[in-house]
Amino acid sequence: MGKHTLIITEKPDAAHRIASALTEKGKIKEMEDNGVPYYICRRDREIVVVPALGHLYTIAEERKGRNHYPAFNFRWVPKHSAERRISKARRWIETISKLADGADTFIDACDYDIEGSVIGYCILRFACSNKENISKRMRYSTLTKDELELSYNNLLPQLDFALIEAGIARHEVDWLYGVNLSRALTIAAKNWSGKYATLSTGRVQGPTLMYIVTKERIIRSFVPKPYWKINVRIQLRHSVFEAEYKKKIERKGEAAAVASACKEEEGKVRTIDVREFQQKPPAPFNLGTLQSEAYSLFGYTPNRTSRIAQRLYLEALISYPRTSSQKLPIEINYERILNKLKDFSKYRKLAEELLSKSELKPREGKKIDPAHPAIYPTGNKPETDLRSSEEKVLDLVARRFMAVFSESAIKQSMRVHIDINGHCFYLRGRRILKEGWLTLYKPYVRSEEILLPPIKEGQIVKIKKVILEDNFTKPPPRYNPASLLRKMEETGIGTKATRANVIKTLYDRKYIREEKIVVSDLGFEVLEVLEKYCPSVVSIELTSELEERMNKIQAKKEDKEGVLVDTVKMLKPIMEELKKKEKIVGEQLSIAIRKAKLEERIVGSCRVCGTGKLMILYSRKTRKRFIGCTNYFEGKCETSFPLPQKGSIKPLRKNCNRCGWPTVQVQRRGKRPWTLCFNPNCPLKDERRKNR
Amino acid sequence: MKCIVCNRACDKKGYCRFHKKALQNIVKSYPSWKKALGLSWEEYLNEISENSITGEWAKEVVKHLIKSGEK
Repeated sequence: MGKHTLIITEKPDAAHRIASALTEKGKIKEMEDNGVPYYICRRDREIVVVPALGHLYTIAEERKGRNHYPAFNFRWVPKHSAERRISKARRWIETISKLADGADTFIDACDYDIEGSVIGYCILRFACSNKENISKRMRYSTLTKDELELSYNNLLPQLDFALIEAGIARHEVDWLYGVNLSRALTIAAKNWSGKYATLSTGRVQGPTLMYIVTKERIIRSFVPKPYWKINVRIQLRHSVFEAEYKKKIERKGEAAAVASACKEEEGKVRTIDVREFQQKPPAPFNLGTLQSEAYSLFGYTPNRTSRIAQRLYLEALISYPRTSSQKLPIEINYERILNKLKDFSKYRKLAEELLSKSELKPREGKKIDPAHPAIYPTGNKPETDLRSSEEKVLDLVARRFMAVFSESAIKQSMRVHIDINGHCFYLRGRRILKEGWLTLYKPYVRSEEILLPPIKEGQIVKIKKVILEDNFTKPPPRYNPASLLRKMEETGIGTKATRANVIKTLYDRKYIREEKIVVSDLGFEVLEVLEKYCPSVVSIELTSELEERMNKIQAKKEDKEGVLVDTVKMLKPIMEELKKKEKIVGEQLSIAIRKAKLEERIVGSCRVCGTGKLMILYSRKTRKRFIGCTNYFEGKCETSFPLPQKGSIKPLRKNCNRCGWPTVQVQRRGKRPWTLCFNPNCPLKDERRKNR
Repeated sequence: MKCIVCNRACDKKGYCRFHKKALQNIVKSYPSWKKALGLSWEEYLNEISENSITGEWAKEVVKHLIKSGEK
């Protein structure tokens, strides 16, 4: 048997697609070795396509064990030798090595970005015995047959070593930060309390937590101020509209006087201001804007959207999603994609309309990404049934893609000044004069029209009701996963591929909770320790600076070694300081961990005494669990409820939508979780009983 | 020395930096409430202690102020 070409991909799905796209002579052969799939196809010669499983190599410390710090000596090792429960990696590496032995040409076809480049490089270097320098590179943005063939026929002569260097630097710097700081926190807490709890922080995690804590501090020390708003209901023809007083009023007496002066009065239309304005089409999606839109429309977390987009990409339905770009280069062939979208009945009319235009020119955003264009649909039809979440994201991408080629929408806003007994009120209306791109993006447009009937200056209008509203100033809104991700993007911390994961880690570590993010006591204490003993670690400026230096490595303006040496130089005194203060840090963190564990058991406020908290407790006698009020210990409240004894129980921090009592989620192994409202008199229970 | 409200280290007035900030906000907001509703200091403290928008730390300081009768 002659030598073959070995193509390495990042994931099994991509390997299958590449083999299917490249075969010219017959069907591809689906092979398996030790549970590892690979594919053989024939083109100009025999091609073997073998997938990785994401990263197969990782960084590990030279010295064994995890109970010490600082740790500055490391090397790249197979993932299974450094991490538990990754035994698959061993089989994968063995198979790739075997297939590499019979190959004379190597092609790295991993995703063309930092992570993909590092994955491919490590495999070529370690599993294929130093083939990184002779390997060629496939570069593509979609897994469609046409693009894959084009990419194979126009291989890049070598790997993108600047990208690899930047990726490796990022991994190594992150490892130095993460391992040293996380170990320092975990060991300090363990040595003080004798109990193990994983605490972590990192180069991006620390500053991200800083953002949330800064806002939480403002919210927790916020004191509202009162103000009043006055609205009047006005009869115009057969409809009633609400006009608002020209300003907020800061004195109750003044507000009451205005409200009373407007009662039972008629109003006169003084002036009508009409303004027309254009609303340009949105820019095409990059990962950040897609995550943000999917969160606000469907409530998907950034991490979930990222996973869905990745699946759609592997199904060759959308282009590569981990991109920063808001540009759609002409090379992607707009017309061909729109022609393909025409085959979907729901897009036919819209695509036809766009294709009838004399020129197709997309509206683009400012952001660029040298590796990939903005996210766009390939126009391919799904080969398998998509999940509803996948269908939604695909539809969103397709409609956004079409919308960017459309015209601006023209809107009209109207402000009617109504004089009521000498007081100025404004009635506002808005309507769309020309829909433009809104037609294409319709299901996802969130602006409502307020259509006012014909109205003239000098017209007398009838006041139906005057509403005096008590209001209070509010603290800034809490972050949610999408707005936090946007903040990270704006300030340049983390990368498009890692930001969503960093947020997920903060949840996993129990530093933050809930959708509108609340910082836990543990999150506060971890940040306080970092702020106190190593402020540079949570400094947003220093993190952005380091990020910038790593970008410079990619642009060949900085070398990796310099960045690593400076990182170690910066971390050394921090680790020494943390070691010196280990006892005090340990105490602070241990108390917070204990509090966090208690916090996890609180299910909500006690509806009986009104001041206590309902908590999951354990009977000293029987060890059975139940819900009890914290005021029981002070002899003030004896409220208690039984709980199921089997399965796990998690406070939902949501009240029952029928009776308003707190609820918990019960989950037994192998069964679907269910929500339990423990109010014995909840009307929902009666209804269920009756339905049975 | 520990904060009157929590266990954090504090300044001479007895508040940690977070509760001190909350106290500053309480003092700073009083003129607005006085102008709006003509409330006395005590009435103001009662109002904000029952307001759901008042932050947790501010409420803790208010509780302490009410208890101690500090003006």
